[in-house]
Parts: sequence; structure tokens; C-alpha cells
Amino acid sequence: MTVRRFHAEVGTAFATAGLGIAAVTGAAGLGFGWEESGPQPGYFPFYVGLILIGASLWNLMRAFMKHRAAVLHERNSGEIEEPFLGRENLGRIGMFLAAMAGFVIGTLTLGVYVASTVYIAWSAWRQGGYRLWVALAIGAGFTIVQYVIFEVIFKIPLLKGPIEPLLGIY
Amino acid sequence: MGNLDLLMHGFGVAITPMHLMLMVGGVLMGLVVGVLPGLGAPNGVSLLIPLTFALDPTSAIILLSSMYWGALFGGSTTSILFNIPGEPSSVATTFDGYPMARKGESTRALTLAFMSAGVGALIGVIVITLLAGWASNFALQFGAPEYFAVYFLAFAAFIGMGSASPAKTLVSLTTGLLLSTVGMDTVTGEIRLTFGLDQLLSGISFLVVVIGLFGIGELLSTVQEGLRFRGVGSKIDLRDVLRTIAELPRYWATTIRSGLIGIWMGITPGGPTAASFMSYGIARQASRKGEAFGTGRPEGIVAPETADHSAGSCAMLPMLALGVPSSATAAVMMGGLMIWGLTPGPMLFATKPDFVWGLIASMYVSNLIGVILVLATVPMFAALLRIPFAIIGPMIVVICFVGAYTVSSASFDLWLVLLFGLVGYLFTKLGYPLAPLVLAMVLGHKAENAFHQSMILSNGSLEIFFSNTLVTSIMLIALALLILPKTLQLGSRLRRKAPVE
Repeated sequence: MTVRRFHAEVGTAFATAGLGIAAVTGAAGLGFGWEESGPQPGYFPFYVGLILIGASLWNLMRAFMKHRAAVLHERNSGEIEEPFLGRENLGRIGMFLAAMAGFVIGTLTLGVYVASTVYIAWSAWRQGGYRLWVALAIGAGFTIVQYVIFEVIFKIPLLKGPIEPLLGIY
Repeated sequence: MGNLDLLMHGFGVAITPMHLMLMVGGVLMGLVVGVLPGLGAPNGVSLLIPLTFALDPTSAIILLSSMYWGALFGGSTTSILFNIPGEPSSVATTFDGYPMARKGESTRALTLAFMSAGVGALIGVIVITLLAGWASNFALQFGAPEYFAVYFLAFAAFIGMGSASPAKTLVSLTTGLLLSTVGMDTVTGEIRLTFGLDQLLSGISFLVVVIGLFGIGELLSTVQEGLRFRGVGSKIDLRDVLRTIAELPRYWATTIRSGLIGIWMGITPGGPTAASFMSYGIARQASRKGEAFGTGRPEGIVAPETADHSAGSCAMLPMLALGVPSSATAAVMMGGLMIWGLTPGPMLFATKPDFVWGLIASMYVSNLIGVILVLATVPMFAALLRIPFAIIGPMIVVICFVGAYTVSSASFDLWLVLLFGLVGYLFTKLGYPLAPLVLAMVLGHKAENAFHQSMILSNGSLEIFFSNTLVTSIMLIALALLILPKTLQLGSRLRRKAPVE
């Protein structure tokens, strides 16, 4: 599967327009007119939202125009436009994103210390090609440094899960 | 008191053992942040802000600004040694810096870059020193309409003068403005645009957004390119350093020209990135003889570096005097100022002279420290890039998420970082600029309040923005910046097309 630049442009334009529509409807609920004391709370977001929708539509139009030119060029010269994201790139990014999302979910359930040890060790092991125990040592070492910097030096508590209390860390 | 006396007083504030230590620490951290992909100056500063709550504001700003200088130096290091710009503003340094390093003259390239960066920063700080008193007196005449006009000017300059398509800049800007309105409205006390999500009641922190956009976004681009670092040897030979320093005066014309470009782009919201590209382009046009640019020509390093740093330091002036930052990093620092309970603007000069002049004096000292430290430690920091990405990448991810969490200890922010990471990646790939979004998020509240107050003053008539000479001239400059650059471009493009067809 590949993603073309055209698809990415159109998707982004729709997303930003959607944000604008959400802001306009939300602001309309608050009132965007005038009252005795001045503009109502929705005044500013309402008009900013309208500008955002306008700019998004402009980008959408530009994307279609560019796409038509690219298709014509392709037909005439036989050159195929370079994909925005090739299969290989998409795989790499997907893998990285999935691991990152896994880290976030892990942080929220098991705490940041367990999650970061596992996440760093996993990438070093699977992607870096290190032996499992070396990878685990890298992950654990990083986590210990993190603990010392945040909890010991700056006294900022980070998210903890069910495991830390068992080790006597609060 | 004249500016010079105030500056001397500032040196008294800045040069204490504690502050010198913070400068060294800040510059070193900045170097790490500048060298590593995914950690740049804006999000490095964002990550550090929650850790500065324990310091007094003067020490905190010295630490943050030193980190910024360090990040600028670090960005140039990787541009030259690895052909990877560590910062967007050092992209132009790769054009001639990397070829020169490939020819085996890496010490010369690095020294040229660092020395001209130092000179650029010095030019910038001198301008700040000379203009600070004047700028703050000028800004004292400002009322709500003038402030709104200045914010409008900043937004207009981004749209008109930015290199991205105007509609894309506008999308980025308005998205930032809308994000800043989420949560409790400070004027009316109304809850806005939370769409029933309790987590959004207190608003969306711009620090979290910056960490996502710049940190995770940049990492995703790095991963997608699957880039391998091909480094050049990075040993520093002291004799080469001295020889290169002796060579520097030869490029005086380039240096002065680039310094001026940097000053202009730093004070108006063009920012360091635009300054370095512009300066490189003009240096190339101005050169007459010698080897071609792009093959390791010294002017090709001197020009972008001088402009980059002089713009970077000049960006602090409008941030302090008007409360209008002209680069993403200055915007983040200004957000920090507001978190520490300071209000950037002309009153800051009157009420907190220690803070303002301590910062300005520290800029002289920490840039000097920066040049020396960076020359001494380059081989060490270059080694950081030899760590495989499979290890350093996830570590940067963890640092970003943990940093975002420490902003307000909210788990919801972790999802926001992930979301804005994707947004940052897509926006960068599609040519949407990120700096306007950050600027709009930081300025959103202030712009809306100024607009609100002006409307109350005028009973809802927009004429108030053209009611006196001061506000009218600011508005006219803003409109000119908004419309003229792109119109002129269009005009010259049409003229160039005509003879061909």
C-alpha cells in the first residue's frame, strides 16, 4: 500500500476544515454576537473558525488543481509521481507508532518505569539486534537514570503502576 | 540610568557562580538537544520549563536561554559533520559545511561556523542593548488597540513573509488560535470548546503541543527516512582553529550583511530559519569569483550561521519589550515567563530591571561560554549520533512523553503528545509551517483579550484600529506585510513567464 501526496493533502484539508466546523458550531452554542458588556464568549473562536474553514477549502482546491496537473503530466510523459509514503516507509512508521502507542498504554497501566524499560529493551532487542540481556540492561539503566533525575533530584513524581509499591518505591 | 549603566548592573546580576554554572549546564544540555534528532530548541526548552519552577525567574531564564544558544550551536555541528541539520535553522549550513568537512577540513568548517555564530549572536545582543530602553519606552504608549495591532502584525508577517503557502500558514495560525481558546475563558469565565471532555477544562498546554509537534513529529520524519548517519571525523586540532580564526576577518562583508539580515528577521517575525536561508541566498548572489557555492565555500558557512544567531538573539527583544515572540523558541520562553508570573511587555523593564538586564548581560557571557565549550566538546557530542537509532530513538520518545507529563501531571496529555506528534509529522511533510501554530497558541489569549477590550472601548466598531497615528501605522505596516510580498512574487513570476510563452 502506498499513500499519494494528493491523498495526504486532501485528508489534511478535510481534517483542518473539520476542526474549523467543530469550533464554529461550539462557538455558536456559546453565542457569537454582542451583548451589553461586549462580544459574547463565542465571538473570537467563531470567526477564527470561519477563517480556518476558508483556508482549508483553499488548500483543498489547490490540492485538486495540483493533482490534475500531475495526472496530465503522468499521461504525457509516462513518469509516475513519487509516492508520498512508499510501502517500506509506511511499514517503518507504522511499526514505530505502534511501539510508541504501546508505550503510552503501558505507562498508563503499568507506570512509566516499567513501560520505558520494556519499550527501550524491546526496540534494542528487536530492531537494534542486541542480545536480550544487553537490551534489558540498556532499558533498565535508562530507567534508573530517569528515576534519579526526576524523583530524587527534582522531586517530581512520575506515573507509577502496581509494581513499584512491591519494590518499596512510592 | 542609561542603557550602559543598566547593562553593567545586569552583569552584576548575571555573573555569579550559580548563574555561571547554570550557563555551562544550559549550554551543554542545549548541545545534546541540538545534536539529537527529535529534540530541538523549542521542545528542549519546553521539556526544561517544568523543572525550572524551583528556580527564581532570573536564574530560570538564564538557564533556558543558555540552552537555546547551546541548541543553535549543536544544530550546526550535526549539519557539518553528518549532513543532518539538528535544527531547522541550520539547514542552510549543510550546503557548504558538509562538503567542506568531506574534504577533510572539518575543523575549519566547525570553527568558521562557531565563530561566525558567536559574532552573529554578539551583533544581536548589542542591538538589543542599544534598542531595549527605546523599545520599552515606545511600547509604554500602547493601549489595547495598539497591542492587538502588534499581534496582528506578527500574524500578518508570518503569512506574508513565510516561505510556506499563505493558506497553509493561515491554517496553522488559526488552528493555534482555536487551541488557545479551549477551556475556561479568562474574560467571561465561560467554559469553551471542550466538547464535554473534562480533561480539556483547564485548556491545552502549549508546552505539550510543542513537545508533540516538534519532538515526536521530527522523530517520525527521521524514522520514515530510515536515515543512517554517515559521519565525518570530528577531531579538533587547535592549530587549525587558530588559523581559521585568523582567516575570519576576510569575510567581513558577508558577516556584516548577514548580521543585518539576522537583525531584521529577528525583530520582525521572520525568525532564524528564514534569516539563514535568506542570508545564504544573498551571499551566493553577491559572490563574484572563486569556487562555486555548495562545494565547501567558507562564505557559505559564515553567512547562514551569522544570520541564524543574530536573528536568534534579536528575537528576544520583541519578546521582552512587546510580548510578541518572533520565533518558536522565543514563544515557548515567553510562555515560561507567564508561567513564572511575569508579564512580558514594557512594564517588565520598569518593574523587573534585574530580570531583563540580567538576561541581556547573560547573553554576552553565555555565548562566549558557548563558543569555547562547543569547540572543546564537539567530538564527544558527535559521538552521540553514533549510537544506533534503535536505542536513542525510543529514549527520546520516553523523554518527550515524560517531559509532557511533568507539565501538569495529567495522563491525558500523553494522548495529546501522540496526536500532535502525528499532526507535526503530517504538517511538516505537507509544507504547513509549525512556528505560527506555537506563536498563536502563546499569543491567542492576549490577542483575544486585546481585541475584546478594544471592542468594548469602541462599542464594537473596527474603526478603533485606525483611530490614531500609532495604531493606524502599525495596522498599515501589518496589511502591507500581509499583502505585498506575495503580490510582488506573483507579479515577477508573471513577468518572467511572459517572454517564454
